[in-house]
Amino acid sequence: MGTLIKQEFYKLFHKTGTWIAIGIMVGLQIAFAIIRMANPDLFTLGDLVTSDFMGGGLVIFLAVAATASIVAQEFQFGTMKQLLYRKYYRSQVFVSKVITMVLYLVFLQVIATAVTVVLSVTTGKYDWLKVVGKHANWETYSISVIGFFLVSLLLLSVVLLLSTLLKSNAAAVATGIVGYFLMYIASGILIALIAKWEFVKWSPFTFLMVGSQLSSESVSKVTQLSTPVMVIGSLAYTALFTVIAYLSFRKRSV
Amino acid sequence: MSTVLTVDHLDKSFGSKQVLHGVDFFVEEGHVAGLVGPNGAGKSTIMKAILGLIPVNGGGVEITGQKVSITSHQALRKVGALIEYPGIYPFLTGQQHLELFADKHNKAANIKEIVDALGMGTYINRKAKLYSLGMKQKLGIAQALVNQPKLVILDEPMNGLDPQAVKDLRDIIRKMAANGTSFLISSHILSELEKVADDVLILNHGHIVRETGMAELAHDGGVTYEITTGNLDQAKAALATANVAFTQNGMNLVIKDNEEVGTLNQALYALVQHGVAITAVDQKTRDLEASFLDMVQKDKKEA
Repeated sequence: MGTLIKQEFYKLFHKTGTWIAIGIMVGLQIAFAIIRMANPDLFTLGDLVTSDFMGGGLVIFLAVAATASIVAQEFQFGTMKQLLYRKYYRSQVFVSKVITMVLYLVFLQVIATAVTVVLSVTTGKYDWLKVVGKHANWETYSISVIGFFLVSLLLLSVVLLLSTLLKSNAAAVATGIVGYFLMYIASGILIALIAKWEFVKWSPFTFLMVGSQLSSESVSKVTQLSTPVMVIGSLAYTALFTVIAYLSFRKRSV
Repeated sequence: MSTVLTVDHLDKSFGSKQVLHGVDFFVEEGHVAGLVGPNGAGKSTIMKAILGLIPVNGGGVEITGQKVSITSHQALRKVGALIEYPGIYPFLTGQQHLELFADKHNKAANIKEIVDALGMGTYINRKAKLYSLGMKQKLGIAQALVNQPKLVILDEPMNGLDPQAVKDLRDIIRKMAANGTSFLISSHILSELEKVADDVLILNHGHIVRETGMAELAHDGGVTYEITTGNLDQAKAALATANVAFTQNGMNLVIKDNEEVGTLNQALYALVQHGVAITAVDQKTRDLEASFLDMVQKDKKEA
């Protein structure tokens, strides 16, 4: 399994696009830090830190793009046979790809966080230890990162499922990114329906709010679910979509 | 000599269409087996089944005594393969492809050896998206051979290769086979397969219609001799007088050898006795193509 994961990272980090995208993310974070220095009234430093100097949005985009292509590219390039005729099984190949994507998400978040920390203390005087409300700033940031992570995992499991159904890399990436927006739009609509039909709260779209609810308990009035249930539910849906993705992957002919 | 690959009564259907019917053969250690058959005969399906890529409906595959199936891949540890077409990541160089798939043990040396043997040195550090068809094919072959496997499965390996590359590949196969590696190779270029294979399996409509050694196949139907003489009419008369059966091919007389009565000796003796000048005697054996076409034709008639 270790060899398979290493091979997945080898492929990922030998794509020029991977490094360009990371460069763009860091560049965007630096650009927003400079914009704030020039116009301090435009954003508060606290808001920029919470959003990783706007890099947080790009983390999920990059992860969606990488997840969409990690399976589809093997079918497009005809390399799936090479992965499967060795001593490894389909399940191992699939799991190695899932683990690679989770680690890649962590890697991107670590970069975004590191740049955020550096920018927050160099371009402003952000006090990470200052207590605002119930939590210190670093605790609030950590909770938002955990929430972001849970939402990202749920989204990536759906994208992975879509990518096992598509043969073209580009189609999988486009579907993943479009799906990302559609899920948020659908989530907004369905949340509005929960007030009318309570059972709707159990739809996977509700669990996209887990990040918001972790940061603010008041969101539970909208979702009508407690925070622990939201956390467990989002992980359960992530597992469910991943299993369906595996079943779809297993059935694909090579 | 031990058996490396055993294919035992393999059946495979796609939907209601049965494509393999009890396919049965084996490949011995250090042997090169050629798998030939018309398009759609089931060659690639057999190879995919051997590699545990597709489920089968009956029968089984063993490599060095270990079973292989879609859920049992341990025996594939020492197998290299190129099936249908080479899978290439366009964003990697040839060298990076080999580094990706090479085992840790002797990695650099193994990569260098196969790159040199296939003459890929001048472009190995270029991105694979810039490769021609032949370069991609060589890279696919290099990936199959880089880990010095015990069994190599090659599906149409000569596709897109220039004559020098075909010769290089032939030399590599012969060298590896001499060191104990077994090969199962399918190819439409029968003249090339003939030069490298020890055994031949002729497949038609999912059945093995003939499994034999290449030498035996060449002698199927006996050996013929073409005799060129200085005077065709005089030669024909001499053979007729001596009761030697012959046919004519252009300006040559064709004698079918029959060791029991020494037909060639009789013919040559008759020609010399009648003072006919013999300018050339050419031994002709049947080639793989002729045997293959005969088998397929015979199978068609029987069906």
